[in-house]
Amino acid sequence: MSTDPRLRARQQQLAPAPAAATPPPPPPPPVEAPAQSMGMDGATDAHADRNMVPDDKFKLKFCTVCASNQNRSMEAHLQLASAHLPTISFGTGSLVRLPGPTVTQPNVYHFNSTTYRSIHDELAQQNTALYTHNGLLNMLGRNLAIKGFPERFQDWVPGKPRLEHAEDKGWQGTEAGVVDVVITCEERCFDAVLEDLHNKGGKLNRPVHVINVDIKDNHEEALVGGKAILDLALTLNQVAAEEREAHGESGWESGGGAARSGFDERVPDIIATWQERWPQMPALWSLAWS
Amino acid sequence: MSAQTIQQLESARSLALGDGRYYPTIIPGVLPIIGYSADQTIEIQRWGADFLAEAFASPTWPPEAKENSASSVLATLKAYLENVPDKSVIKSAVQAAASVYPLVYRHIVSDPSDAQHWQLMSAIKSNILRRMDTATPGVRICCIKFLQQVVLVQTPGVLDPRRPDHNDISLALVSRDHPLIPYASLEAEGHGLLDRLLDIIHGDHSDGLLVTGTLNSLGMLIHRRPVAANKILNSVLNFNPLKLANSPMSPKNKVIMKSIERTTRALLMNIMKRNPENPVNGRIQQFLERMHRMRIDVFDESNRKRPAPSEPIDGLDPAKRQRLGAEAPSRTPPVAAPPLPPGPVSWRQLYTLNPEGSTVNFDVQAFKDPEQLLRILVPVLQSVDGTKLDQAISIVRSRYATFMHSGPRTTAAQHAAVPVAEDEEEYEPDFEPEDAEQLINKLDGLPPTDFPAQTAPTTALAPYKLPEAPQLSEQEAQKYGDMTIHRAFGMLSSVEESHKSKVTKGGFNRLAATDYSRDAWVTILSRLATRASAGLDDPEQGVKDEYAVKSAKGSLKISDAVRDGLYQYIMYDWKKRIDVAISWLNEEWYNDIILAQSAKDSTKNGAANGHTSSTPGEPKGNYHRCALRLMDGILPYVEHTDKILLRLLSEVPALDHEILIRLKKMAEDPERIDLACSALQYLYMFRPPLRTIVVDVLAEMWKENDRAKQSARKLLVRWRPEVLGEETSSTPTMKTEEGQPAKESANGALEVKAVS
Repeated sequence: MSTDPRLRARQQQLAPAPAAATPPPPPPPPVEAPAQSMGMDGATDAHADRNMVPDDKFKLKFCTVCASNQNRSMEAHLQLASAHLPTISFGTGSLVRLPGPTVTQPNVYHFNSTTYRSIHDELAQQNTALYTHNGLLNMLGRNLAIKGFPERFQDWVPGKPRLEHAEDKGWQGTEAGVVDVVITCEERCFDAVLEDLHNKGGKLNRPVHVINVDIKDNHEEALVGGKAILDLALTLNQVAAEEREAHGESGWESGGGAARSGFDERVPDIIATWQERWPQMPALWSLAWS
Repeated sequence: MSAQTIQQLESARSLALGDGRYYPTIIPGVLPIIGYSADQTIEIQRWGADFLAEAFASPTWPPEAKENSASSVLATLKAYLENVPDKSVIKSAVQAAASVYPLVYRHIVSDPSDAQHWQLMSAIKSNILRRMDTATPGVRICCIKFLQQVVLVQTPGVLDPRRPDHNDISLALVSRDHPLIPYASLEAEGHGLLDRLLDIIHGDHSDGLLVTGTLNSLGMLIHRRPVAANKILNSVLNFNPLKLANSPMSPKNKVIMKSIERTTRALLMNIMKRNPENPVNGRIQQFLERMHRMRIDVFDESNRKRPAPSEPIDGLDPAKRQRLGAEAPSRTPPVAAPPLPPGPVSWRQLYTLNPEGSTVNFDVQAFKDPEQLLRILVPVLQSVDGTKLDQAISIVRSRYATFMHSGPRTTAAQHAAVPVAEDEEEYEPDFEPEDAEQLINKLDGLPPTDFPAQTAPTTALAPYKLPEAPQLSEQEAQKYGDMTIHRAFGMLSSVEESHKSKVTKGGFNRLAATDYSRDAWVTILSRLATRASAGLDDPEQGVKDEYAVKSAKGSLKISDAVRDGLYQYIMYDWKKRIDVAISWLNEEWYNDIILAQSAKDSTKNGAANGHTSSTPGEPKGNYHRCALRLMDGILPYVEHTDKILLRLLSEVPALDHEILIRLKKMAEDPERIDLACSALQYLYMFRPPLRTIVVDVLAEMWKENDRAKQSARKLLVRWRPEVLGEETSSTPTMKTEEGQPAKESANGALEVKAVS
């Protein structure tokens, strides 16, 4: 829990940001409600409770995926990790692509080897003003605090322990290298993930819900998208935890209705209701195998 | 107590996570704790099932090692499956069983005596298969994956049984006479289970979970079991991913439908990418396209329509009652239309279905601006109700049919008599359907341009025939013919650039006009000009060939049009097209000769007719005329450096005084004197028959053109010195008249004197 104060500060930073930076999509989720009463200790705690899963509770393991494992997946990674959800993140592109001085000169890096820090330093050296202005340095600064380097989804070996990632945010719970939910940020990535899982052959025999949340690739949308993903993840986790509890020694007989049906079959429902809350981010879903 | 135990277990697990090689030692240590007992806490059972699933799925230790440990956990798994009601325990146990099954299977393959473990495995298998249809979906998906593993190992993997791949656990590893696992029954079971798997995607789609889970498990089977690939693919291609389109479009169904569609697409794309040469890819592509269109249909429609109410309808609120399908067709009230009044009926009456309506008085002519009319008309047409329109059309059609039936003749006659109705004034078609006879009669009786005022159209319409086009007048026919020729030459110019360079002359071996090259077309066109009408004239007319141009007989005109085309074509770029000129003139000459010969023959034969007035000895047909025209056309453009003129003069088939005298004219330009002289010199040297003419021309030039005297004299000195001699006496008078050139001629005279 040593990370707590930092996280709280982080959330305070984040909360007002979207209101200022993104005029078109109103941030609708209930998550936002206590933002004004942040000053009071009690309120802050309540806020933290809502958005954070206590460590003694059941937790789904999440994986966020975008094209370059830089903006959208990392924003979501941060938000999920801040909620104490086990999270890993990937990109599905062939290379890490970041905007360069012109459209035709992107900055291109290799996955799995180039660290966020080295990218940050290189870009800062190249043109500090430009990359500060377009938010890249800020983004990279955030990323290097989350994990070491961008990872490629296709190179991920499910089930391979991730002990060497112990410094990453959201590592707790992902040590076995398995996930329950993959959240992609673009249909292209969704397709790439499904395809790659076919290629991987589902060797773990472990079901994984792949969910796409369409997010435009810019900082503002990533921030809003990150909140949407957090909203979705918390709901999913809530339902999964309910299943665990309902089916405990006493729960099975007493539970009824929705609680009676399990987590997996409720996922489409959850996505559908979530979609009504976030209509600007069209969702897709598939049960795949890792 | 349990928390403490879990902590111990966790530390054992992290050891194994740190290095997979510890699993074989950790599993036996953990098993006594996690092994099922009735008084166990659920946490330990969950941990145990999760751990087993994780351990046997882990890529960090080799399958051989796993195989050795696999048998030891079967009892625990079986006990979990049979005794624990908790769903997450079951799920993990089934996952673990899916990982363990191939391992135990291979163990049994290599150790046929181990009946005990196979029995345990079989018990687990049948337990799981029993759950397949009854368990909650969360468990069933895990069963699906187990099924996939069973199908995988119970289907032959490699097609060549002599070279089994030992890393691929498949039916190919099983010997035919295995005592525990008979090949045939395994194979049959594999088939049966695959069918069961495939049945899922054709079954209920309402939760999407099983369908997408199954689809996502098929990719690997197709890839690794080519034997089964076709069966699976056929099943997938016959599958309707948008099955839910017929059920209410709730948000959940929308998500499920989109998801199933997308999952199917990902699967098929993966199959195509893995094997781009697969012959079935075409079918897959078709399926994907069809699916895409269906998806657009389904979702576009759902976007346009208000979604059906998803809450249960109690029937109390009529506003909320769902409309029944049977009611739908009669929704639009039938269009009522009064019957037509008896007697003659105007078009307007025929089409007016609602005589009381306000639109009856709508006069289109009020709109002077067609744009304005368009702006109104297009939205109106778009808003027309299809069914209403159909009804209206059928009413008009039936009206028309009955009307036709009730004596079309009389109405037609009456109609003609009736003064033209107000809105029929505009109805004045250009061509009335008439039968050919009528048309001919009319054409006979009337000048072709003067169409009679058409009577108002009768309602007795015959099946519509396109009216015969009016006959072309002579001028029109000629105009169109000219256009055709013009186009031919246009084509020629475009062909030129691409073909000219490649041509290799075949000499006498070539056949004229065998390809589409420029030369071929030139040949065709020049022969068309020269021969097409040749010999068609009477011999007597042939006599008049000389004057044919002027008399402009119709049959000859086309030749002349082509000639004109050729002339224009050559003149457009005469230096480059001099070869065209030459071949054309050759054709002309040849034709003239042939004609002249046949004329000679006919005059010989037909002398009795008394038509002896022809002048066959003088073949001044088209050739002469054309050559002169061409020379006259070209010469103004000839520059003093244009040696190509020599080529023209040397290659045209016949030259006479009249043609060559043009050179004298050319020589009046002092710049071109030398060219003229060298042309004449060339002709003198290489066309001996022309020598007299050449020298005559030269002499004339010498006489008449003072500036050319010097050049001409050089040649005349050699060829006809006597001219110079003659002139010495006469020239002085001229010299004295003109002054400036006098010196020259005086010198010349002196020279000549010296020579003579």
